[in-house]
Amino acid sequence: MTTSLSIYLSIHVLIGVIGIAASYMTLMWLFKRELPVRSLKVSSFIAFVAYVTAWITGGFYYVVYYGSNVKPGIKEGPTPWVHLVIMEVKEHIFLFLPILAFVVLLVIWLKGGKLQENKRLRNALALVALITLIIAVSMALGGLVISGAAR
Amino acid sequence: MDIHSFLIVAHLIGVALGVGGATFGGILYLKAMKDGKIDPMEGEWLSVIFMVLRIGLAIAVITGFGFFLEYRFTGQEERLMDPRLWAKLTVILVLVANALLIQMRRIPMWLGESLSLTSWYGALVLGIIRGVDYSYFAFLFFYLIGVVIVIGILSLVKRLYLGKR
Repeated sequence: MTTSLSIYLSIHVLIGVIGIAASYMTLMWLFKRELPVRSLKVSSFIAFVAYVTAWITGGFYYVVYYGSNVKPGIKEGPTPWVHLVIMEVKEHIFLFLPILAFVVLLVIWLKGGKLQENKRLRNALALVALITLIIAVSMALGGLVISGAAR
Repeated sequence: MDIHSFLIVAHLIGVALGVGGATFGGILYLKAMKDGKIDPMEGEWLSVIFMVLRIGLAIAVITGFGFFLEYRFTGQEERLMDPRLWAKLTVILVLVANALLIQMRRIPMWLGESLSLTSWYGALVLGIIRGVDYSYFAFLFFYLIGVVIVIGILSLVKRLYLGKR
C-alpha cells in the first residue's frame, strides 16, 4: 500500500470515529434539560462533514486499492462472507449516513430555537440522530472485521 | 517517541481518566447524596468529573482505532479478530449506551453507576491481561458476573454509608 493510500485509509477511519463522537454528542445534548443550541449546531456540522469526508476517502481507497488488492484475498480466504455480506452492507448502508446527518444538521440550524419547547420535534430528531449513530457504529465495527479478514 | 509508544501512552491516559472519573464520580455522588440532595456546588463538581470521563473515553476510543490502523499497516490483522478486543469493544459500547440512558433518565441510577464502574474497570482489565485464551462469550460472562458483584457492593456501601435499605 502506498503512503498516500495509507493516509486516505487513516483519514477514513479517524474521521469516521470523529463523526461517531459528534453524532453521540448531538444525541446526548438533545436530552439536556437546557438545550445547548450552539453546541448542537457545531456537533451536527462536524458529524455531517466527517461522514462526507469518510465517504470520499473510503470510496477512493475502495476503488483504487481494496477492489483489486484486498477483496480477492478475502473472497479466496476462510471468511469470504466478510466481503460478501459485511462489505456489501457497508457499501450501501453507509450512504444513509451523510443524508441522515444532513437532516439532523438542517433541523438544528433551521429550527434549533424551537427545539426547547417542541418536544415532539426534539424526540423525532433524537430518533434520527440515534439511527445515524447506530449505523455509524455498525460501519466502524464492520471496518474492523473487514480489516481483520484482510490477512 | 514512535507511533506505537505514543498510542500506548495516550490510550493509558484516556483509560486512567475514565477509570479515575468513574471512581471519583461514584464517590462524590455518594457523598453528595448523604444529605439527600445534590447542591449546586456538588453538581458542578460532578459535571466536571463527567466531562473528564468523556474526554477520557474519547481519547481511549480514538487511540483504540489508532491501534487498529497500526495493526492494519504492519501486517498484524489477525489481532483484530482477538475475542479479547471484541469483548473490550462490547464493554465500551455498553458504557456509551449506559451514559446515553443515564442522560435520558431511562435507567435506574443503581444500575447505571454499576454498569459504568464495571465497564471502565472491565475495559482496563481486558486491556491489561495477556496470555488468556477465553472465548468472546466467556469474557462477557465474566463481565456480567462483575456487574452483579458491583451492584451488590454498591448497594452494601450505600446501606452502610447512607443508611438506606
